[in-house]
Amino acid sequence: MPAVSAPPPLRFPSRDFFEALREAMRAERERFSRLGFFDTTFGVRISSDDGGEPAEFALRFEVFDCVGVESLAGVETDFVVEGPFAAWREMLDTIHALGAADTAHSLNTLTHFGEQLRVRYDDPDGHDKLYRFAESIQEFFDLSARLDFAYPDGSRPPAARAERQRSAR
Amino acid sequence: MSYLSTTDFTEDQPFVDRFERMLRGDLDLSWLDAPRERVTCRPENARRGLTFRDLDVGSYGFTDMPELIRENRSFAPRGAAMPEGLPDLQAEVNRKSEVWAYNVEGYYEEAMTRQWNATTDIPWAELQSVELPEDIGKAYAQLLTFLTEVEMIATDVPAKWMGRLNADFFEVKNFIATQAMDEARHAEIFRKRALSTGWGLMRASAQNEFNLKFLRDADSFAEASLALHLQAEGMVLTLFRFSEYISPTEGDKKLFRLVMQDEARHVGYGMQHLKWVLDHFPERREAIHHHLDEAENFVFGGGYATEVLEPFIILSGKGLKKENIAEGVRITNAFQLKQADEYFERLAKCGLPERRERSRLWKMIDLRKQTMAA
Repeated sequence: MPAVSAPPPLRFPSRDFFEALREAMRAERERFSRLGFFDTTFGVRISSDDGGEPAEFALRFEVFDCVGVESLAGVETDFVVEGPFAAWREMLDTIHALGAADTAHSLNTLTHFGEQLRVRYDDPDGHDKLYRFAESIQEFFDLSARLDFAYPDGSRPPAARAERQRSAR
Repeated sequence: MSYLSTTDFTEDQPFVDRFERMLRGDLDLSWLDAPRERVTCRPENARRGLTFRDLDVGSYGFTDMPELIRENRSFAPRGAAMPEGLPDLQAEVNRKSEVWAYNVEGYYEEAMTRQWNATTDIPWAELQSVELPEDIGKAYAQLLTFLTEVEMIATDVPAKWMGRLNADFFEVKNFIATQAMDEARHAEIFRKRALSTGWGLMRASAQNEFNLKFLRDADSFAEASLALHLQAEGMVLTLFRFSEYISPTEGDKKLFRLVMQDEARHVGYGMQHLKWVLDHFPERREAIHHHLDEAENFVFGGGYATEVLEPFIILSGKGLKKENIAEGVRITNAFQLKQADEYFERLAKCGLPERRERSRLWKMIDLRKQTMAA
Protein backbone atom coordinates (compact mmCIF):
# COMPACT_ATOMS: atom_id res chain seq x y z
CA MET A 1 0.00 0.00 0.00
CA PRO A 2 1.50 3.38 -0.93
CA ALA A 3 2.33 5.67 1.97
CA VAL A 4 -0.11 8.56 2.42
CA SER A 5 1.81 11.80 2.67
CA ALA A 6 0.60 14.75 4.73
CA PRO A 7 -0.86 17.56 2.64
CA PRO A 8 1.59 20.38 2.03
CA PRO A 9 1.19 23.35 4.33
CA LEU A 10 -0.87 26.30 3.23
CA ARG A 11 1.08 29.25 2.01
CA PHE A 12 0.79 32.75 3.44
CA PRO A 13 -0.18 34.96 1.74
CA SER A 14 -2.59 33.09 -0.51
CA ARG A 15 -6.27 32.75 -1.18
CA ASP A 16 -6.07 29.20 0.19
CA PHE A 17 -4.87 30.56 3.53
CA PHE A 18 -7.92 32.81 3.89
CA GLU A 19 -10.22 30.04 2.60
CA ALA A 20 -8.84 27.86 5.39
CA LEU A 21 -9.60 30.60 7.92
CA ARG A 22 -13.10 30.73 6.51
CA GLU A 23 -13.47 26.98 7.07
CA ALA A 24 -12.10 27.30 10.60
CA MET A 25 -14.68 30.02 11.26
CA ARG A 26 -17.44 27.79 9.93
CA ALA A 27 -16.35 25.08 12.38
CA GLU A 28 -16.70 27.63 15.19
CA ARG A 29 -20.18 28.76 14.19
CA GLU A 30 -21.57 28.73 17.69
CA ARG A 31 -18.78 30.93 18.98
CA PHE A 32 -19.20 33.45 16.17
CA SER A 33 -23.00 33.40 16.46
CA ARG A 34 -22.60 34.42 20.05
CA LEU A 35 -20.49 37.40 18.96
CA GLY A 36 -23.41 38.54 16.81
CA PHE A 37 -24.17 39.79 13.31
CA PHE A 38 -20.99 40.43 11.40
CA ASP A 39 -21.73 42.30 8.17
CA THR A 40 -18.78 43.83 6.42
CA THR A 41 -16.52 43.37 3.44
CA PHE A 42 -12.94 44.36 3.99
CA GLY A 43 -9.65 43.97 2.20
CA VAL A 44 -6.23 42.75 3.26
CA ARG A 45 -3.14 43.87 1.38
CA ILE A 46 0.22 42.25 2.09
CA SER A 47 3.07 44.15 0.50
CA SER A 48 5.94 42.15 -0.81
CA ASP A 49 9.36 42.58 0.82
CA ASP A 50 11.07 42.56 -2.56
CA GLY A 51 8.96 45.32 -4.09
CA GLY A 52 6.83 42.93 -6.10
CA GLU A 53 3.07 43.09 -6.47
CA PRO A 54 1.19 42.98 -3.14
CA ALA A 55 -1.07 40.03 -2.33
CA GLU A 56 -4.62 41.39 -2.01
CA PHE A 57 -7.83 39.70 -0.96
CA ALA A 58 -11.36 40.79 -0.13
CA LEU A 59 -13.07 39.01 2.77
CA ARG A 60 -16.84 39.13 2.77
CA PHE A 61 -18.75 38.52 6.02
CA GLU A 62 -22.50 38.17 6.35
CA VAL A 63 -24.68 37.34 9.36
CA PHE A 64 -22.34 34.98 11.27
CA ASP A 65 -20.10 33.68 8.49
CA CYS A 66 -17.33 34.46 6.10
CA VAL A 67 -19.21 34.08 2.82
CA GLY A 68 -16.49 34.91 0.36
CA VAL A 69 -12.77 35.20 -0.21
CA GLU A 70 -11.94 36.87 -3.49
CA SER A 71 -9.48 39.04 -5.30
CA LEU A 72 -9.57 42.61 -4.00
CA ALA A 73 -9.58 44.22 -7.44
CA GLY A 74 -12.95 45.79 -8.19
CA VAL A 75 -14.55 44.86 -4.86
CA GLU A 76 -16.19 47.66 -2.87
CA THR A 77 -14.85 47.38 0.67
CA ASP A 78 -15.52 49.15 3.96
CA PHE A 79 -11.79 49.36 4.67
CA VAL A 80 -8.51 47.74 3.71
CA VAL A 81 -5.88 46.62 6.24
CA GLU A 82 -2.47 46.87 4.62
CA GLY A 83 1.13 46.57 5.57
CA PRO A 84 4.46 44.98 4.80
CA PHE A 85 4.81 41.22 4.80
CA ALA A 86 7.10 41.46 7.86
CA ALA A 87 4.34 43.07 9.96
CA TRP A 88 1.77 40.46 8.93
CA ARG A 89 4.29 37.73 9.62
CA GLU A 90 5.05 39.06 13.09
CA MET A 91 1.33 39.12 13.90
CA LEU A 92 0.76 35.58 12.61
CA ASP A 93 3.87 34.22 14.33
CA THR A 94 2.64 35.58 17.66
CA ILE A 95 -0.83 34.17 17.18
CA HIS A 96 0.57 30.78 16.20
CA ALA A 97 2.86 30.64 19.20
CA LEU A 98 0.38 31.91 21.76
CA GLY A 99 -2.98 30.76 20.40
CA ALA A 100 -4.16 34.37 20.05
CA ALA A 101 -2.68 37.84 19.65
CA ASP A 102 -0.77 39.26 22.60
CA THR A 103 -0.97 42.87 23.82
CA ALA A 104 1.43 44.10 21.16
CA HIS A 105 -0.19 42.31 18.23
CA SER A 106 -3.96 42.77 18.36
CA LEU A 107 -5.26 44.20 15.09
CA ASN A 108 -6.36 47.44 16.76
CA THR A 109 -2.95 47.92 18.34
CA LEU A 110 -1.10 47.23 15.09
CA THR A 111 -3.29 49.64 13.11
CA HIS A 112 -4.08 52.36 15.67
CA PHE A 113 -1.33 54.77 14.70
CA GLY A 114 -0.52 53.06 11.41
CA GLU A 115 2.89 52.12 12.73
CA GLN A 116 2.89 48.48 11.60
CA LEU A 117 -0.34 48.04 9.65
CA ARG A 118 -2.51 50.79 8.20
CA VAL A 119 -6.22 51.06 7.54
CA ARG A 120 -7.28 52.65 4.25
CA TYR A 121 -10.87 53.80 3.73
CA ASP A 122 -12.97 56.30 1.83
CA ASP A 123 -15.99 56.41 4.12
CA PRO A 124 -15.56 56.86 7.90
CA ASP A 125 -18.76 54.87 8.41
CA GLY A 126 -17.08 51.94 6.62
CA HIS A 127 -13.91 52.48 8.66
CA ASP A 128 -15.92 52.33 11.89
CA LYS A 129 -16.98 48.77 10.99
CA LEU A 130 -13.47 47.69 11.93
CA TYR A 131 -14.50 48.69 15.47
CA ARG A 132 -18.19 47.68 15.31
CA PHE A 133 -17.00 44.13 14.62
CA ALA A 134 -13.66 44.35 16.43
CA GLU A 135 -13.97 41.19 18.49
CA SER A 136 -15.25 39.09 15.58
CA ILE A 137 -12.41 40.28 13.35
CA GLN A 138 -9.78 39.63 16.04
CA GLU A 139 -11.13 36.14 16.70
CA PHE A 140 -11.19 35.45 12.95
CA PHE A 141 -7.46 36.21 12.66
CA ASP A 142 -6.77 34.34 15.91
CA LEU A 143 -8.06 31.18 14.20
CA SER A 144 -4.81 31.18 12.18
CA ALA A 145 -3.22 29.61 15.30
CA ARG A 146 -4.83 26.35 14.12
CA LEU A 147 -3.57 26.43 10.56
CA ASP A 148 -0.57 24.59 9.23
CA PHE A 149 1.09 27.14 6.98
CA ALA A 150 4.41 28.30 5.62
CA TYR A 151 5.81 31.56 4.32
CA PRO A 152 7.13 32.02 0.77
CA ASP A 153 10.69 31.19 1.84
CA GLY A 154 9.48 27.86 3.24
CA SER A 155 9.86 28.85 6.90
CA ARG A 156 7.05 28.15 9.34
CA PRO A 157 5.53 30.12 12.19
CA PRO A 158 6.77 29.05 15.64
CA ALA A 159 5.06 26.06 17.20
CA ALA A 160 2.51 26.62 19.92
CA ARG A 161 4.13 27.33 23.28
CA ALA A 162 3.05 25.21 26.21
CA GLU A 163 3.02 28.28 28.44
CA ARG A 164 0.80 30.77 26.67
CA GLN A 165 1.65 33.91 28.59
CA ARG A 166 0.47 36.76 26.40
CA SER A 167 0.69 39.79 28.66
CA ALA A 168 3.51 42.15 27.73
CA ARG A 169 4.20 43.03 31.34
CA MET B 1 -49.67 60.26 42.29
CA SER B 2 -49.82 63.14 39.83
CA TYR B 3 -52.12 61.40 37.37
CA LEU B 4 -55.52 60.13 38.54
CA SER B 5 -58.18 58.28 36.61
CA THR B 6 -61.23 60.40 35.83
CA THR B 7 -63.37 57.35 36.68
CA ASP B 8 -63.59 55.28 39.85
CA PHE B 9 -64.32 52.01 38.08
CA THR B 10 -65.59 50.11 41.10
CA GLU B 11 -68.31 52.76 41.49
CA ASP B 12 -69.14 52.92 37.76
CA GLN B 13 -72.27 50.71 37.50
CA PRO B 14 -72.42 50.45 33.66
CA PHE B 15 -68.76 49.35 33.68
CA VAL B 16 -69.36 46.79 36.42
CA ASP B 17 -72.49 45.47 34.60
CA ARG B 18 -70.57 45.08 31.35
CA PHE B 19 -67.75 43.29 33.17
CA GLU B 20 -70.21 40.84 34.74
CA ARG B 21 -71.96 40.18 31.38
CA MET B 22 -68.60 39.37 29.80
CA LEU B 23 -67.77 36.89 32.55
CA ARG B 24 -71.11 35.18 31.91
CA GLY B 25 -69.99 34.68 28.27
CA ASP B 26 -71.87 37.59 26.71
CA LEU B 27 -68.96 38.90 24.60
CA ASP B 28 -68.83 42.21 22.75
CA LEU B 29 -66.38 41.14 19.97
CA SER B 30 -66.48 44.53 18.21
CA TRP B 31 -62.63 44.52 18.08
CA LEU B 32 -62.88 41.48 15.77
CA ASP B 33 -64.61 43.57 13.12
CA ALA B 34 -62.05 46.34 12.92
CA PRO B 35 -60.84 46.36 9.29
CA ARG B 36 -57.16 45.46 9.36
CA GLU B 37 -54.47 45.23 6.75
CA ARG B 38 -53.28 41.64 6.43
CA VAL B 39 -49.67 41.24 5.37
CA THR B 40 -47.12 38.53 4.79
CA CYS B 41 -43.79 38.92 6.57
CA ARG B 42 -41.00 36.43 6.01
CA PRO B 43 -37.30 36.56 6.78
CA GLU B 44 -35.47 37.85 3.71
CA ASN B 45 -32.46 35.91 4.94
CA ALA B 46 -33.33 32.79 6.94
CA ARG B 47 -29.95 32.79 8.70
CA ARG B 48 -30.63 36.29 10.00
CA GLY B 49 -34.14 35.55 11.24
CA LEU B 50 -37.21 37.79 11.11
CA THR B 51 -35.96 41.38 11.30
CA PHE B 52 -37.62 44.78 11.61
CA ARG B 53 -36.77 45.32 7.94
CA ASP B 54 -38.86 42.27 7.08
CA LEU B 55 -41.79 43.98 8.82
CA ASP B 56 -41.52 47.15 6.74
CA VAL B 57 -44.78 46.45 4.93
CA GLY B 58 -47.93 48.48 4.38
CA SER B 59 -49.29 50.57 7.22
CA TYR B 60 -47.09 48.65 9.69
CA GLY B 61 -43.90 49.72 7.95
CA PHE B 62 -41.63 52.71 8.53
CA THR B 63 -40.69 53.68 4.99
CA ASP B 64 -43.97 55.45 4.31
CA MET B 65 -44.27 57.03 7.74
CA PRO B 66 -45.06 60.74 7.37
CA GLU B 67 -42.62 63.43 8.48
CA LEU B 68 -45.09 64.73 11.07
CA ILE B 69 -46.99 62.25 13.22
CA ARG B 70 -50.28 64.02 13.82
CA GLU B 71 -52.61 61.07 14.22
CA ASN B 72 -51.04 58.92 16.90
CA ARG B 73 -50.71 60.71 20.22
CA SER B 74 -51.00 57.51 22.27
CA PHE B 75 -49.03 54.30 22.72
CA ALA B 76 -51.00 52.58 19.97
CA PRO B 77 -48.43 50.46 18.13
CA ARG B 78 -47.89 51.79 14.60
CA GLY B 79 -50.47 50.18 12.32
CA ALA B 80 -52.93 49.21 15.09
CA ALA B 81 -56.57 50.36 14.96
CA MET B 82 -57.00 53.46 17.13
CA PRO B 83 -60.42 53.66 18.78
CA GLU B 84 -61.96 56.85 20.07
CA GLY B 85 -60.83 57.87 23.52
CA LEU B 86 -57.14 56.99 23.44
CA PRO B 87 -55.27 59.37 25.73
CA ASP B 88 -52.94 62.07 24.44
CA LEU B 89 -49.66 61.02 26.03
CA GLN B 90 -48.00 64.25 24.89
CA ALA B 91 -44.97 62.89 23.14
CA GLU B 92 -42.44 65.70 22.83
CA VAL B 93 -40.87 64.53 19.59
CA ASN B 94 -43.28 63.97 16.71
CA ARG B 95 -41.16 64.89 13.70
CA LYS B 96 -39.51 61.92 11.99
CA SER B 97 -36.44 63.86 10.87
CA GLU B 98 -35.68 64.72 14.50
CA VAL B 99 -35.03 61.07 15.35
CA TRP B 100 -34.78 58.90 12.26
CA ALA B 101 -31.57 57.49 10.82
CA TYR B 102 -30.80 55.54 7.68
CA ASN B 103 -30.61 51.85 8.67
CA VAL B 104 -31.82 52.42 12.24
CA GLU B 105 -33.59 49.05 12.04
CA GLY B 106 -30.30 47.39 11.10
CA TYR B 107 -28.44 48.99 14.00
CA TYR B 108 -31.12 47.66 16.35
CA GLU B 109 -30.80 44.08 15.07
CA GLU B 110 -27.02 44.29 15.25
CA ALA B 111 -27.23 45.59 18.81
CA MET B 112 -29.48 42.74 19.88
CA THR B 113 -27.19 40.04 18.51
CA ARG B 114 -23.97 41.65 19.73
CA GLN B 115 -24.90 41.99 23.40
CA TRP B 116 -22.29 40.64 25.83
CA ASN B 117 -21.96 40.17 29.53
CA ALA B 118 -19.54 42.15 31.68
CA THR B 119 -19.68 39.55 34.43
CA THR B 120 -18.88 36.47 32.37
CA ASP B 121 -17.22 37.52 29.10
CA ILE B 122 -14.07 38.99 30.64
CA PRO B 123 -11.34 36.72 32.09
CA TRP B 124 -11.54 38.35 35.52
CA ALA B 125 -9.48 35.68 37.27
CA GLU B 126 -6.70 36.06 34.70
CA LEU B 127 -6.83 39.85 35.04
CA GLN B 128 -6.49 39.68 38.78
CA SER B 129 -3.48 37.41 38.52
CA VAL B 130 -1.56 40.25 36.83
CA GLU B 131 -0.26 42.79 39.32
CA LEU B 132 0.22 46.19 37.74
CA PRO B 133 3.07 48.47 38.86
CA GLU B 134 1.80 51.25 41.12
CA ASP B 135 2.12 54.11 38.61
CA ILE B 136 0.42 52.11 35.86
CA GLY B 137 -2.22 50.73 38.20
CA LYS B 138 -3.18 54.13 39.56
CA ALA B 139 -3.20 55.78 36.15
CA TYR B 140 -5.37 52.97 34.82
CA ALA B 141 -7.75 53.22 37.80
CA GLN B 142 -8.05 56.98 37.17
CA LEU B 143 -8.87 56.37 33.48
CA LEU B 144 -11.48 53.80 34.51
CA THR B 145 -12.97 56.23 37.04
CA PHE B 146 -13.38 58.84 34.31
CA LEU B 147 -14.92 56.29 31.94
CA THR B 148 -17.40 55.11 34.60
CA GLU B 149 -18.48 58.71 35.12
CA VAL B 150 -18.94 59.22 31.37
CA GLU B 151 -20.89 56.02 30.84
CA MET B 152 -23.37 56.75 33.64
CA ILE B 153 -24.52 59.91 31.89
CA ALA B 154 -24.42 58.11 28.55
CA THR B 155 -26.98 55.72 30.07
CA ASP B 156 -29.17 58.52 31.38
CA VAL B 157 -29.38 60.47 28.11
CA PRO B 158 -31.02 57.85 25.84
CA ALA B 159 -33.17 56.67 28.76
CA LYS B 160 -34.37 60.23 29.33
CA TRP B 161 -35.49 60.63 25.71
CA MET B 162 -36.98 57.18 25.16
CA GLY B 163 -40.37 57.94 26.65
CA ARG B 164 -40.54 61.36 25.02
CA LEU B 165 -40.53 60.07 21.46
CA ASN B 166 -43.78 59.41 19.64
CA ALA B 167 -44.70 55.71 19.79
CA ASP B 168 -44.64 55.55 15.98
CA PHE B 169 -40.83 55.88 16.14
CA PHE B 170 -40.76 52.32 17.40
CA GLU B 171 -37.45 51.30 15.80
CA VAL B 172 -35.64 54.37 17.16
CA LYS B 173 -37.05 53.85 20.65
CA ASN B 174 -35.90 50.25 20.57
CA PHE B 175 -32.47 51.23 19.32
CA ILE B 176 -31.93 53.78 22.08
CA ALA B 177 -33.17 51.19 24.58
CA THR B 178 -30.27 48.97 23.46
CA GLN B 179 -27.98 51.95 23.77
CA ALA B 180 -29.06 52.60 27.35
CA MET B 181 -28.33 48.93 28.11
CA ASP B 182 -24.94 49.13 26.37
CA GLU B 183 -23.94 52.22 28.33
CA ALA B 184 -25.12 50.72 31.61
CA ARG B 185 -22.94 47.68 30.87
CA HIS B 186 -19.99 49.98 30.12
CA ALA B 187 -20.43 51.77 33.46
CA GLU B 188 -20.60 48.33 35.09
CA ILE B 189 -17.47 46.97 33.45
CA PHE B 190 -15.36 50.08 34.09
CA ARG B 191 -16.40 50.11 37.75
CA LYS B 192 -15.61 46.40 38.07
CA ARG B 193 -12.24 46.83 36.42
CA ALA B 194 -11.36 49.90 38.51
CA LEU B 195 -12.04 48.00 41.71
CA SER B 196 -10.33 44.84 40.47
CA THR B 197 -7.07 46.72 39.83
CA GLY B 198 -6.82 47.01 43.60
CA TRP B 199 -6.56 50.81 43.43
CA GLY B 200 -10.29 51.40 43.38
CA LEU B 201 -11.99 54.51 42.09
CA MET B 202 -9.83 57.61 41.89
CA ARG B 203 -10.95 61.22 41.35
CA ALA B 204 -14.13 62.44 39.61
CA SER B 205 -13.63 65.04 36.89
CA ALA B 206 -15.35 68.39 37.43
CA GLN B 207 -14.54 69.73 33.96
CA ASN B 208 -15.93 66.63 32.34
CA GLU B 209 -19.05 66.70 34.43
CA PHE B 210 -19.88 70.14 33.00
CA ASN B 211 -19.63 68.57 29.57
CA LEU B 212 -21.79 65.64 30.67
CA LYS B 213 -24.40 68.02 32.04
CA PHE B 214 -24.46 69.78 28.69
CA LEU B 215 -25.19 66.41 27.03
CA ARG B 216 -27.91 65.53 29.48
CA ASP B 217 -29.69 68.88 29.37
CA ALA B 218 -29.95 69.29 25.58
CA ASP B 219 -33.15 71.10 24.57
CA SER B 220 -34.12 68.62 21.87
CA PHE B 221 -33.45 65.01 20.92
CA ALA B 222 -31.71 66.19 17.74
CA GLU B 223 -29.27 68.29 19.82
CA ALA B 224 -28.79 65.48 22.33
CA SER B 225 -28.07 63.01 19.53
CA LEU B 226 -25.66 65.34 17.76
CA ALA B 227 -23.66 65.97 20.93
CA LEU B 228 -23.93 62.44 22.33
CA HIS B 229 -23.87 60.01 19.41
CA LEU B 230 -21.71 61.88 17.01
CA GLN B 231 -19.46 64.18 18.95
CA ALA B 232 -19.01 62.64 22.40
CA GLU B 233 -19.25 58.98 21.38
CA GLY B 234 -17.18 59.59 18.27
CA MET B 235 -14.41 60.96 20.44
CA VAL B 236 -14.90 58.23 23.02
CA LEU B 237 -14.67 55.61 20.25
CA THR B 238 -11.20 56.89 19.35
CA LEU B 239 -10.45 56.95 23.09
CA PHE B 240 -11.50 53.29 23.47
CA ARG B 241 -9.28 52.32 20.56
CA PHE B 242 -6.43 54.23 22.18
CA SER B 243 -7.23 52.55 25.50
CA GLU B 244 -7.05 49.15 23.79
CA TYR B 245 -3.70 50.23 22.33
CA ILE B 246 -2.29 51.12 25.77
CA SER B 247 -4.02 48.33 27.73
CA PRO B 248 -1.64 46.43 29.98
CA THR B 249 -3.12 42.93 29.52
CA GLU B 250 -5.03 40.85 26.94
CA GLY B 251 -8.06 40.81 29.22
CA ASP B 252 -8.10 44.61 29.20
CA LYS B 253 -7.73 44.61 25.43
CA LYS B 254 -10.74 42.34 25.10
CA LEU B 255 -12.68 44.62 27.45
CA PHE B 256 -11.97 47.63 25.24
CA ARG B 257 -12.73 45.72 22.03
CA LEU B 258 -16.15 44.82 23.42
CA VAL B 259 -17.00 48.36 24.51
CA MET B 260 -15.71 49.85 21.27
CA GLN B 261 -18.08 47.63 19.28
CA ASP B 262 -21.07 49.13 21.07
CA GLU B 263 -19.70 52.65 20.85
CA ALA B 264 -19.05 52.36 17.11
CA ARG B 265 -22.66 51.24 16.61
CA HIS B 266 -23.92 54.32 18.47
CA VAL B 267 -21.67 56.52 16.36
CA GLY B 268 -23.07 54.79 13.28
CA TYR B 269 -26.59 55.72 14.34
CA GLY B 270 -25.42 59.30 15.04
CA MET B 271 -23.88 59.62 11.58
CA GLN B 272 -26.88 58.17 9.80
CA HIS B 273 -29.18 60.40 11.86
CA LEU B 274 -27.28 63.57 11.00
CA LYS B 275 -27.31 62.58 7.32
CA TRP B 276 -31.07 62.05 7.58
CA VAL B 277 -31.57 65.45 9.24
CA LEU B 278 -29.53 67.28 6.61
CA ASP B 279 -31.33 65.43 3.80
CA HIS B 280 -34.85 65.95 5.16
CA PHE B 281 -34.71 69.03 7.39
CA PRO B 282 -31.94 71.18 5.84
CA GLU B 283 -33.07 74.34 7.60
CA ARG B 284 -31.58 72.88 10.78
CA ARG B 285 -28.03 73.27 9.43
CA GLU B 286 -27.36 76.55 11.27
CA ALA B 287 -28.85 75.27 14.52
CA ILE B 288 -26.53 72.25 14.24
CA HIS B 289 -23.50 74.49 13.86
CA HIS B 290 -24.51 76.59 16.86
CA HIS B 291 -24.97 73.51 19.00
CA LEU B 292 -21.62 72.09 17.89
CA ASP B 293 -19.94 75.41 18.77
CA GLU B 294 -20.87 74.94 22.40
CA ALA B 295 -20.39 71.17 22.40
CA GLU B 296 -16.84 71.63 21.11
CA ASN B 297 -16.15 74.29 23.73
CA PHE B 298 -17.08 71.81 26.46
CA VAL B 299 -15.14 68.97 24.92
CA PHE B 300 -12.01 71.12 24.61
CA GLY B 301 -12.25 71.98 28.32
CA GLY B 302 -12.95 68.40 29.34
CA GLY B 303 -10.26 66.82 27.17
CA TYR B 304 -7.53 68.80 28.85
CA ALA B 305 -8.62 68.04 32.41
CA THR B 306 -5.62 66.96 34.48
CA GLU B 307 -7.22 63.76 35.74
CA VAL B 308 -7.98 62.68 32.18
CA LEU B 309 -4.90 63.73 30.26
CA GLU B 310 -2.23 62.68 32.73
CA PRO B 311 -3.29 59.01 33.00
CA PHE B 312 -3.10 58.80 29.19
CA ILE B 313 0.45 60.14 29.27
CA ILE B 314 1.53 57.71 32.00
CA LEU B 315 -0.17 54.70 30.43
CA SER B 316 1.07 55.34 26.90
CA GLY B 317 4.59 56.17 28.08
CA LYS B 318 4.47 53.13 30.40
CA GLY B 319 5.58 54.93 33.55
CA LEU B 320 6.53 58.10 35.37
CA LYS B 321 10.23 58.38 34.54
CA LYS B 322 11.28 61.37 32.47
CA GLU B 323 11.75 59.32 29.31
CA ASN B 324 8.41 57.59 29.88
CA ILE B 325 6.66 60.94 30.22
CA ALA B 326 8.28 62.26 27.04
CA GLU B 327 7.14 59.19 25.11
CA GLY B 328 3.70 59.40 26.72
CA VAL B 329 3.30 63.03 25.68
CA ARG B 330 4.27 62.15 22.11
CA ILE B 331 1.77 59.29 21.88
CA THR B 332 -1.02 61.18 23.66
CA ASN B 333 -0.57 64.15 21.31
CA ALA B 334 -0.91 61.81 18.33
CA PHE B 335 -4.04 60.29 19.88
CA GLN B 336 -5.73 63.66 20.43
CA LEU B 337 -4.99 64.81 16.89
CA LYS B 338 -6.39 61.54 15.58
CA GLN B 339 -9.47 61.97 17.74
CA ALA B 340 -10.14 65.43 16.28
CA ASP B 341 -9.37 64.35 12.71
CA GLU B 342 -11.82 61.45 12.90
CA TYR B 343 -14.54 63.65 14.40
CA PHE B 344 -14.29 66.26 11.62
CA GLU B 345 -14.00 63.52 9.00
CA ARG B 346 -17.29 62.02 10.19
CA LEU B 347 -19.03 65.40 10.12
CA ALA B 348 -17.80 66.02 6.59
CA LYS B 349 -19.11 62.65 5.44
CA CYS B 350 -22.50 63.40 7.00
CA GLY B 351 -22.79 66.58 4.94
CA LEU B 352 -21.06 69.22 7.09
CA PRO B 353 -17.75 69.68 5.25
CA GLU B 354 -17.71 73.37 6.23
CA ARG B 355 -17.49 72.49 9.92
CA ARG B 356 -13.68 72.53 9.94
CA GLU B 357 -13.61 76.12 8.73
CA ARG B 358 -16.20 77.27 11.26
CA SER B 359 -14.86 75.40 14.26
CA ARG B 360 -12.72 77.04 16.93
CA LEU B 361 -11.76 73.55 18.09
CA TRP B 362 -10.37 72.79 14.63
CA LYS B 363 -8.40 76.05 14.71
CA MET B 364 -6.85 75.03 18.05
CA ILE B 365 -6.01 71.59 16.68
CA ASP B 366 -4.56 73.06 13.52
CA LEU B 367 -2.42 75.42 15.55
CA ARG B 368 -1.17 72.51 17.62
CA LYS B 369 -0.30 70.54 14.50
CA GLN B 370 1.72 73.48 13.20
CA THR B 371 3.51 73.87 16.55
CA MET B 372 4.34 70.16 16.61
CA ALA B 373 5.57 70.23 13.02
CA ALA B 374 7.84 73.21 13.82
